[in-house]
Amino acid sequence: MTIGGNITSFAGLPVRRFEPGPVGRRDARRAGQDVAWRIGVDFGDGEDRFAATLDALLDAVGGATVRALVIGSWGEPHSDVPPLHLLIAARDRLPSLRALFVGEMTHEECEISWINQSEYAPLLGAFPALEVLHIRGADGLRLAPVRHRRLRELSVESGGLPAAFVRGLCDSSFPALEDLELWLGVQEYGADATIEDFAPILSGAELPALRRLALRNAEIADQLAEALAAAPVVARLRSLDLSMGALSDAGAEALLLGQPLTHLRSLDLSHHFMSEDVAARFQQELPGAAVDVSDEQGADEDGFRYVSVME
Amino acid sequence: MTAPLTVIGIRGHRRVELFRAAAVAARLPEPAFVDWRDVCADRFDIAPGSTVRLESPGEDAEVDRLLRGADRPAEHGEIVGLAAWYAGLLEAARRVRRRASGPVQPPVGDLAVMFDKRRCHALLRDRGVPVPDGFAARDYEQVRAAGWGRVFVKPAHGSSASGVVALALGPGRVSAYTSAALDGGRLFNELRVHHYTDERHVAAIIDRLGADGLHVERWFPKASHEGRVFDLRVVVIAGRASHVVARTSRSPLTNLHLGNARGDLAAIRAAAGQRRWAEAMETCERAAACFPGSLHAGVDLMFAPGFGSHAVAEVNAFGDLLPGLLVDGRDTYEAEVAALTAAVVA
Repeated sequence: MTIGGNITSFAGLPVRRFEPGPVGRRDARRAGQDVAWRIGVDFGDGEDRFAATLDALLDAVGGATVRALVIGSWGEPHSDVPPLHLLIAARDRLPSLRALFVGEMTHEECEISWINQSEYAPLLGAFPALEVLHIRGADGLRLAPVRHRRLRELSVESGGLPAAFVRGLCDSSFPALEDLELWLGVQEYGADATIEDFAPILSGAELPALRRLALRNAEIADQLAEALAAAPVVARLRSLDLSMGALSDAGAEALLLGQPLTHLRSLDLSHHFMSEDVAARFQQELPGAAVDVSDEQGADEDGFRYVSVME
Repeated sequence: MTAPLTVIGIRGHRRVELFRAAAVAARLPEPAFVDWRDVCADRFDIAPGSTVRLESPGEDAEVDRLLRGADRPAEHGEIVGLAAWYAGLLEAARRVRRRASGPVQPPVGDLAVMFDKRRCHALLRDRGVPVPDGFAARDYEQVRAAGWGRVFVKPAHGSSASGVVALALGPGRVSAYTSAALDGGRLFNELRVHHYTDERHVAAIIDRLGADGLHVERWFPKASHEGRVFDLRVVVIAGRASHVVARTSRSPLTNLHLGNARGDLAAIRAAAGQRRWAEAMETCERAAACFPGSLHAGVDLMFAPGFGSHAVAEVNAFGDLLPGLLVDGRDTYEAEVAALTAAVVA
């Protein structure tokens, strides 16, 4: 699978693309506050154009009305990092910003593993009221340890999540974080974190509010499942998601033999390599939960189990 | 009465059949037919005064062999001798022109440009038609040396998506999507898109293609609809954008021959909005106007995500095979016959 389309809603708001220029400005003023604004520039355009587009948006709609922002392409995402410093510089004009998505683009604009990312601690520091942060792409993604009191939802979509980011995340404190979604990806595309790197997340010590844990698209899904079988964090979850990964019977059986999962409201294991019997057991043992074991995959001729999104 | 029309094509090919049907439906006399094989063998005649329509010489292994001047036919899907094929096509078309006393459609000069993507790109650019930046290359090293991060590498004389490589280049890594595959030192066009990440392998494919000339363009990211990227094939007939299909794909290669699907044109048109749609159609008409002697041209148009801009990918001399697509009750062939009749009368 690849990412073929753009999102149409974000943080509960419909996404509206902002078009610079007189027509776009007029439309933007009419759109009101109940939208997530999407800005981006064409390929080949650089930071200047992006800065002008951001400025035009804040000018047209009034920065104080912007609650959610979706950043598409910043011109050359395969070679340049996202212009987070421009957002940071505009912090005073964005007092209501609660939700931010950086890198919302299709594989046609830039394949996920080619999207350059950057250090996010300064951004989180500049927006202490931010509640939702989504990041697509993880090449160069870093997080110096931060404490952020308001962030409820953090999502990183990648074909290969670097250990450096995972460690920064584990050394950070997110007391309000309810929803954590990480696409781990594969080693070939930069997923160099080991199962040990995830131990602090699985312990849940610094994530007291966590209700949904999604460790998706993981080559190491079996190891994650084995660890989750005894992970303290699981008891407080309502949703667990190991979808899009390389989960096979080995990991699935460990999870079934581990701590009870009957408190879960949903368990998503779609795109998996489990046998039919094992997959069915999740449905039998969690009658009260929405269990998704759809999209069964087969290993290739070399026995390799592909995760859903890589390149 | 002499036949007013002569079609040069592949015997029994549906292009020929569809055009014949359109001519007959318009109450024109049955068009005369000449097989490209006979043009290659120089044993053909054209009735005096007849208007000649050149149809695609594609999808016939023997004609392909004759045009390339090769001893043996290419294997199914084999990409071989594209430059020789191009030279052979022009030589055959010139032979037709010398033999014909009436007009030849498309004119040989237009054919020469449309079947050389480097020349076609340069002409469009010089006339102010929006196209991605591009340059000519002969091998992978030249492609890489340009320092562009994402490019489309196209055989200068290729047709459809055959041999096209969507290439991303980064420090120490490459990613290539293409329907081309190397097998035993030979290159084949397959019906699925391969993804290669081994630079030596990618270089070997591009070097092989490069021997017959390459046109390299910046990868213009295409808009998507319903989770699939798309571009438009716009058939411009007698100067007006007429028949349009959206070609959608999950890969960067949108060509219909690769198992892709026609998209929901009405929905795409609505998503683009009236003004941007009209601007795009005008661009297609301007692209076709670079070939004033051609009554029809198939223009491939790409929208950027968000529809904020667009660019022309190619112009195809034989880009009008869109069976069953009706505009004002006429398919492309019927619309072309009407335009041809009007042109001849005028």
